[in-house]
Amino acid sequence: MMIYPVSRVTTFGLVGRFAVSLIAVVVIQGILSFKFKVFGYFDLPLICCIYYGFTLGNPVASIIIGSSLGLMQDSLSGAVLGANGLSKTLIGFFAASAGAKFAVDQSVTRVFALFLFSIGDDLLVTILGLMVGPASTATYSGAVGSWLVSALFNTLLGLVLFGYHDRWGHATT
Amino acid sequence: MSRVVATSKRPVWTVLAIALVIHTGLISLQGRRRIDTNFVRTWLMDSLAPVEKLADRSFFGVGHVWSRYVGLIGVYDENQRLKSENDALRMQITQDREAVLEAERIRALIGLQESGLGKSVVARVIGRDPALTQTVTIDKGTTHGVKPDTAVITPNGIVGRVIHSSNFFSIVQLIVDSQGAVGVMLQSTRRQGILKGNGGRDLELDYIDDDNELKEGDTFLTSGEDRVYPKGLPVGVIVSVGPRRGLFKAVQIRPSADLGRLEEVLCITEKRSIDVVDPTQGTLQP
Repeated sequence: MMIYPVSRVTTFGLVGRFAVSLIAVVVIQGILSFKFKVFGYFDLPLICCIYYGFTLGNPVASIIIGSSLGLMQDSLSGAVLGANGLSKTLIGFFAASAGAKFAVDQSVTRVFALFLFSIGDDLLVTILGLMVGPASTATYSGAVGSWLVSALFNTLLGLVLFGYHDRWGHATT
Repeated sequence: MSRVVATSKRPVWTVLAIALVIHTGLISLQGRRRIDTNFVRTWLMDSLAPVEKLADRSFFGVGHVWSRYVGLIGVYDENQRLKSENDALRMQITQDREAVLEAERIRALIGLQESGLGKSVVARVIGRDPALTQTVTIDKGTTHGVKPDTAVITPNGIVGRVIHSSNFFSIVQLIVDSQGAVGVMLQSTRRQGILKGNGGRDLELDYIDDDNELKEGDTFLTSGEDRVYPKGLPVGVIVSVGPRRGLFKAVQIRPSADLGRLEEVLCITEKRSIDVVDPTQGTLQP
């Protein structure tokens, strides 16, 4: 029987917890989008990616989280494989960078960040989808109007979830 | 927000470059279609789809329990409300249907009123005494011009005559009353006679000039000789012609008006001696 050091067990647990939560986010996004049409405007993986980018303060982890979330989202949504992955990788990186430089626990900063990242994500995914060609029609849906609506929804939901996570995090620490 | 800042930038750029290369590679491979990248999607879907299916089932299960059990909490009250609403609506439909039928009957009576019988007034039957005397009570009296010996008719035929009237009500003796009699004539031969009630539902022949030509289906009209009913109104149809009993044959006549279902009637308060009957039809012309 192998005995692992305590620090390694903690790291495994942490990674496992992250993995489960990331899978849960993607699955919830898929189910809710399917059950409620309006939820198609929300992008839970994006909000999750931004949140971890802001709070972890670890760009490497943020990049990996964004990359994983995007890839899982692509595989379940039928979009071009890698489009969301690439987009969320960049967003994870930029969110982590922003988290290190700006006061991202301020609501105003969060509103700007969520809105801009949401627009950027839609724009990038659409461009990448267009580059690949007609096989990926699922990514063409992001017209400017729906990008704005989506950005607005993501900003609102992100603010609520960030606030909830902040309170929950403070309560448990 | 607690934050751990990375000490070195190098691994960040390395990881970022690797991630970007992987995703760009995936995208470009799909664009060129040289290498099948479906295995990546298949692998990811196979890994994630069971989780999604499980979550969907749970979601569906919760929704199912909610709609089947929790959502039924208010259904009993709603059911009771809908039942009472349904009852009210059915009652309303019945009332509306009655109103339509009543309007049709009144329209027929008005048509009869305008057919040249003379002055008349529409009355509603409000009571009936079917026990000993065959009478009904109507809601018109002397105030409306209804007085004793006023003829009471329906579009189908005569009903009877008023035997007593108060200011606002009158009692009508039906033609089938055993004390009642009607001066008649046979529509086909114009032979005159007298019919009297038998206290039941039919009339009997009391007198006729010649009973040899009587046969079932013949129609009797009022002759006007009794000075109560205007001439030419349908009285009844012969339903049976029996053997001679005394001076005349035993003839039973079924009244043309349905005396068992009287609701609105027409009282002729001032009659004119004109024939209102189409001899070829044997019915009143509205």
